[in-house]
Parts: sequence; structure tokens; C-alpha cells
Amino acid sequence: MTDSPQVKHHGSDMFEGYPVDTADTAGDQAVTNYTINFGPQHPAAHGVLRLVLELDGEIIERVDPHVGLLHRGTEKLIEYKTYLQALPYFDRLDYCSPLGMEHSYVLAIEKLLDLEVPARAQYLRTLFAELTRICNHMLNIGSHVMDVGAMTPNLWVFELREDCLNFFERMSGARMHHAWFRPGGVHQDVPEKLLVDIGEWCETRLPKLFGDAMSLVIDNRIFKQRNVDIATVSKEDALAWGFSGPMIRGSGIPWDIRKSQPYDAYAAMEFDIPVGTRGDCYDRFMVRVQEVYQSARIIKQCLRDMPSGPVASLDRKVVPPKRGEMKQSMESLIHHFKLYTEGFHVPAGEVYVATESPKGEFGVYLVSDGTNKPYRCKIRPTAFSHLQAMDMMAKGHMLADTTAIIGAIDVVFGECDR
Amino acid sequence: MSQPTILTPGAMPVAPGTSPDAGFFDDLNAEVGDKGFLVTSTEELFQWARTGSLWWMTFGLACCAVEMIHVNMPRYDMERFGAAPRASPRQSDVMIVAGTLCNKMAPALRRVYDQMSNPKYVISMGSCANGGGYYHYSYSVVRGCDRIVPVDIYVPGCPPTAEALLYGVMQLQRKIRRVGTIER
Amino acid sequence: MASPAPLIAPREGLAEALKKALGQDMIAHVFAVGEDSITVRRDAIAGVMVQLRDVLEYQQLMEIAGVDYPDRPERFEVVYHLLSVTKNHRLRVRVSTDEATPVPTIVPVWPVAGWLEREVFDMYGVLFSGNPDLRRILTDYGFQGHPQRKDFPLTGYIELRYSEEDKRVVYEPVRLAQDFRNFDFMSPWEGADYILPGDEKAGGTGEAPGKGAPSPMTAEAVKKADEAKASPPPTPKTTDKAAQTGAGTKANAKAAKASPDGAKATAASKAKTPATAKAEKTPAKPKAPAKPRKPKGGDA
Repeated sequence: MTDSPQVKHHGSDMFEGYPVDTADTAGDQAVTNYTINFGPQHPAAHGVLRLVLELDGEIIERVDPHVGLLHRGTEKLIEYKTYLQALPYFDRLDYCSPLGMEHSYVLAIEKLLDLEVPARAQYLRTLFAELTRICNHMLNIGSHVMDVGAMTPNLWVFELREDCLNFFERMSGARMHHAWFRPGGVHQDVPEKLLVDIGEWCETRLPKLFGDAMSLVIDNRIFKQRNVDIATVSKEDALAWGFSGPMIRGSGIPWDIRKSQPYDAYAAMEFDIPVGTRGDCYDRFMVRVQEVYQSARIIKQCLRDMPSGPVASLDRKVVPPKRGEMKQSMESLIHHFKLYTEGFHVPAGEVYVATESPKGEFGVYLVSDGTNKPYRCKIRPTAFSHLQAMDMMAKGHMLADTTAIIGAIDVVFGECDR
Repeated sequence: MSQPTILTPGAMPVAPGTSPDAGFFDDLNAEVGDKGFLVTSTEELFQWARTGSLWWMTFGLACCAVEMIHVNMPRYDMERFGAAPRASPRQSDVMIVAGTLCNKMAPALRRVYDQMSNPKYVISMGSCANGGGYYHYSYSVVRGCDRIVPVDIYVPGCPPTAEALLYGVMQLQRKIRRVGTIER
Repeated sequence: MASPAPLIAPREGLAEALKKALGQDMIAHVFAVGEDSITVRRDAIAGVMVQLRDVLEYQQLMEIAGVDYPDRPERFEVVYHLLSVTKNHRLRVRVSTDEATPVPTIVPVWPVAGWLEREVFDMYGVLFSGNPDLRRILTDYGFQGHPQRKDFPLTGYIELRYSEEDKRVVYEPVRLAQDFRNFDFMSPWEGADYILPGDEKAGGTGEAPGKGAPSPMTAEAVKKADEAKASPPPTPKTTDKAAQTGAGTKANAKAAKASPDGAKATAASKAKTPATAKAEKTPAKPKAPAKPRKPKGGDA
């Protein structure tokens, strides 16, 4: 702290007749940096984050994030499961966007197997991956807004999220952990009415409710004061710190894996990549808001162009047959039994497949040794790199800004800690 | 004199969506109009107060935390049952352990539990908190949060739906009424 | 490429550019499953990364993964995944090391490497020389061992419990109620390296396990084997003394005590059980006459 004129004035009043060091007032010397512990149980920590903050008054001097409080040993467990048994672990990584996690994994297996996936399955995956993106952004936008002090938008966007979960329940039977993307396609076809309802929802309820909720915050003075120019990240920093997803786009780099390295049906989709201009928390927030509208656009295109046909590969050495077929044919029964006990064998090799999950680049580095279990499955989490940059981003900001920064990172610990 | 149970509306199972029992309110009105006061036992009164405001400690650890948020949001709205989220353990009555409890987190969980004031209850939510679940054999997971804190209600599921958690909270209310002691 | 995985176009002239930029530091360049990966010398990794970033435009380090191959002399592989956002290309760079030899850090090249290296250190015990903050990151405070190594057991060594006596969370050795079920899917026809259930009975044949069922024995061999098995016991089994019953010292002491109704019990049991009476009649079998049947509970 530098000595401000006010302090000097005080000093001359209060310390009359005492030997006062004018360069460094007595009050200043008493103030030392102190450390506070944020978490691991804190409602604004988005889970089990522990931050050790070194403060100078209310100014953050240093942040030491402690992660691993939700380290569940997923990568080790995957090595002990067959490829199919390991799939549900991916749902539980980023539990806000389960299908985004499954997507990288099934694509990695398919790449090693060099397996063709029917067009309808690709469109279904694209559609529900985008619905997952909306679902994820609803949670993040809502909690980000709530972390900086607004309650109402959160209640409204959660109503939309509840709609999404209902759609997911109709799709797979589960609200959250679907295990619906399978190597070779998807687990089962969806009812026609579900697709109709999703289309209708994208036209009516989503823009109305989401627009209403966002109209409360995006031009709100308090919201802007809490977010604009907080944790500004330059393009160079964003590249050096391994940013991806809305974080790198918020910094102004138009990088989106769906566009540059298209997978599934994204090559046929028309959508825009929103980018930020300043690279602050507000830009990251707005990128997410715009992505919701772009996702709705992709969903509508998927619904328009979706062909009919099988929803999973007909390669019976990878994809088990339908249950009805199994009751009729001996060969199907054998395939069914073999695939659900031993599973399929994946040729030896290694791939790194990254997809644009709602939070950024979610990668799976899969090493196969030719057996039915992965030899090594390294998961590249998005939040890990982002959280590491927390120290760089939070330095010099106020203590209260940490919640805005964490909210804009969109950190989920299931994925960060694995 | 009427039955002392008159002050425990929660004891009467009312299906959601039905209007409040008219007879119940007539009884109450008659009682108040007749004597100007109500009579009940202290035990009933305590239980009524205790079940009617189960403020819960948000201990969101993993996936189940999302469903725990959903149960608070407008669709399920757990505050109808007097169960409101509290961020501070010292103000809360029940802790919902929502998600996988890892070795690194276990001491923190116990500390939060110790900070809660009596009477305190614990709801274990989801397979991981119940017994390790999908991560049972992992080197870094506590095989059930009941190894760390005493658990009153187990809610099964991976994750349990918001409805299941709501039912778990109602079960806890039943349990509190049934045990019926002032001390826990 | 039939699969719908992310499309990455092969980069034109990459092999030559790599050779030119890295020279002797590059050991191998492989193009497999549509992905480029290079192996480089461990000591040169920092310089290689600067070259890749500045000359070949791989601006981002996305991931550092460790892999454990216990059979190799240098058992660990450290695999770096790079991304070029301008050339839209991914490159995998690998170095190998063992438990003791450190890998030079690349934190000065990419600050993001700090935590990624910490994770590899935590999971595999690979050392990174020059990393400013090489602490454990994911595992518990005070964790022992490196969990991702292939020789680390899935369930680890310790588990937690709250101790009412100590009023704190205590660590104990792992005790599982049910073991992890690890199924073996190796078909016996493909050569399983263990003895199949049932094969241990044919142990005398000296056949290697997994080579099919043992050939059946001839009638003569069966007869010989039966004779060898059916050798009579050297002495007939008797229980002359209480100590020979095998009931233990406590029971023996009690049996040795002359109980007042012991004789009565003996007489009663003799009279009641026909088996005992039969035994009396056949003197060929030396049955112990003195031993009374001791009913459970001590008194008859």
C-alpha cells in the first residue's frame, strides 16, 4: 500500500508529538498479507474447489487452487472395465453435459475401429449434443448470474433446464446419466413425437423464456459492473494457457472444433461462432448466451435434415443386435452374449480425439493393446487448464471477483479432477 | 377438547395438487373461536417445528448436486416443505451428502458435520454416497459416507431424480415424527 | 476414414519440416490412424517444443499424458498433445523415461504445462526437472504411491473411517467386503496362461495346461492307480484315551473327571443305541469300551 494523502493527514492529527515514520505510517506496517481458505465447501465454488487466497486487504495477491477433492480414480477404473462398461464413467465426468463427454469417447473408439456410423445416428448425436450444450449453458449462466447477485434469471433458466432433462428422459430413460451414445451409433431410436416437441420447444419456449431471463441481466448495470473488465485475458495468454471453448472464444479467437475439425454431422450444419472482443468475464458470459441460440439453430437443422434408417452400425462384431432380433436368431443371441460379457476387441493403436464439449476441448487419449479393455484412457479435461490460469486471471482483482471468475470459467469438478 | 394432533398438518398425507383439507381448517377455526387458544403437547409442537423447517446444508459433491439444485428450483420447489438451502453448517438442520465422497474430502465433510448444531440429520444421496457405487473399488473413494457420518436416510439412484430426493426429505420428516424425542 | 471422428487434414510437407526444424532430436515420426506422432530425445524436449511452437506453429499445448509400460527398460512415456489453431492440425510428441530420470520441464514454453506435469508426476512419479511447483495435485494430502502405475492396485492400500474414539477421520488398511471381480476373457483355445478349473486333477500327466484334455488312461493303469491309492492304514484307528478324540484339552480334562452319573450315561447309551450293541458283538474291531459318549452340554 502506498501512503495516501488521507493517511498522512490522519497521522499528523493522531500521532502529534510521537516519532512517526512519515514514509511508512504505523497503520501500514501492521497490515500484512493474510491467507484465506475458500472452500472446499462453498456455495459459489461450483463444487469442491479449494482456493488458498493470499490477500492484501481485499486485493488478491496470489491464488493457489487445490483440486483433486473429487478425484475418483476414473482413469484407473476405466483400465479395469471393458470399452462398453467404461462408457458410463464419461457421463459422470462432466455431469452438467453428460453427452458431450460420451461423444469424445465413442468417437475415439470408432476411430480406432474405423467404424462407419449410419447417418441417422450421426444426426441424432449432433442434435442431442447440442441440446446438452443448451442444458449445460443454462446451468452455467444461471449460476454465474446468481454468483454475482441476481436470483430471478437462475429460476427461469432452470425451468428450461428442466425441460431439457425431460427430453433426455424421453430419449434414454435417464434424466442425467444417459449412456446413450454407443460405439457405432446410439443405443436406441427416439420417439417421433420427441423430435417434434424439441422442434417446437426451440421455436417457442426457449427463445421466449431465455430471452426474458437474459433481458434482465445482459444490460443490467450491476451485472456489468461485476463482470466487465474482470479477468481480462489476451489472445496470447489464452493460447499459452491452453484455453478452449467459450474461454478462448471470449478472448477473440474464433476457434471451434465443430467448425474446424467437424465430426458427426457438424460438417453439414450452418452456424456462427460467437467471439468476444475484450476477453473478460462478460465476454465469456455473452459467448455462452449466443451459443445457446446457435445450438438451437443446429438443432432445427438436424430436425429438418435427419434421414431415417438404422441408429447404430450393423457391424455385429461391435454393436449388439436388437432385442427382438435376439429372440429370433441364434447368431444374434451369440453376438448379444459375447458383446455384453466379453465386449469387442479394439485394434492396437492410439488416438487422441477431442470434441467441442460445452466447456471447451474435451479430449480422450485412448491407447489400446488389442484386448477388450483400454490399456490407457487419458481424459483431457477442459476446466483443468482454465483453473490453472486462475492465478493469472485473479491477480490484482478484489476478493469478491473470484466468484465471477469461477463462474465464467464454468468449472465442474467431476471432469476437472476425474 | 380436540386431539393434540391438530397442529401437525404434515402428519396427514395430502396428495400434491389437492386443496387443503377444509375440515382441518374448520376444526382449527372452531378451536380458536371457542377458547381463543390452542392446546397441544410440547412434543408435538417441537416435532411440528422441527419437521416444518428442515434447513439443509448444501453439500454438493458431484453429479447428485445437480439434482439437488433441481429439487430447489421452481419445478419441484422443495421450500414448500420448509426445506430451504443454507450455505452455513451452523444454521442448518440436515446435511444432504450429494455425490461421491473422496478421501481428500472426507475430513472436510466430518468437520462440516461437527459444526452443525443439534439436532442434526444426514441424508445420503445417490449410490456413491450410499456405498461407493460405480466408484466402489477406486483407490480414492470412501466406500459410503456412513463411514464418516451417521446417516438417517439413504436415497438410492445414480443420480436419484429430484422426486426421489423430495421423497427422501419427506421420509426424514416421518422419521423425526416417529422417533418423537426432544433429544436426538 | 469411415468413422465420424473429428476430421484433421494431413499437413502437407510435415515430415520434411519436422526433420528440418528438429534435426537429430527427432527419433521417429509415425503417421497412424490419421494422426501424426513423433518421438524425440528426452533431453531436448524443451528446445523441440520451442521449435514446434515458433517454427511449425503449434501454438497450444492441450495435454500431457503419461503411459506406463512396465516391460520396457524406460517404462514411462510422457505424451504431449499439441494443437495448431492456424494450421488446424494436431501433433503428438512423446518422450520416454524411467522412475529416476527427470524430464526437462516445458513450463517456460507453455505455462499451462505446470499443472499437467504435476499431474503426470502425481499419477506416475515421473520427475520433471525445473518445474517450479512439483507437488501432488489430484491425490489426497499425504498420499503414498503413484496410482496410475500398472503395479498399483486398483483399490489402493488405505481407506478412511471416522473413529469415535479418536474423534477424527483415521486411515486404515483396505478391507473389502467383496473383492473386485476381474473376469478373464482369454479363451482356453487361445492359450490361457493359467490352469483351467478341473485340469489340476490331471496334474500327474505333466502336460502343459491349456493343451486340451488329458488322454484317458488304460484299464491297467486305472487298476494300478487304484491299488496304489487303496493301501490299508498301518494301524487301526482307535480312541482308547480321551486325548485321542481330538476334542481339545478342555474337553479332555472334563472327560477325565469322573462324573457321578457318567456310568449311568454309559449304560443308558449302550442300551439305547443299537450301533453300540453291534460294536460290542464284533470283537474284530477294537472299539474303545471305556469311552462314554459325551453328550453336548456336559450332563446327560
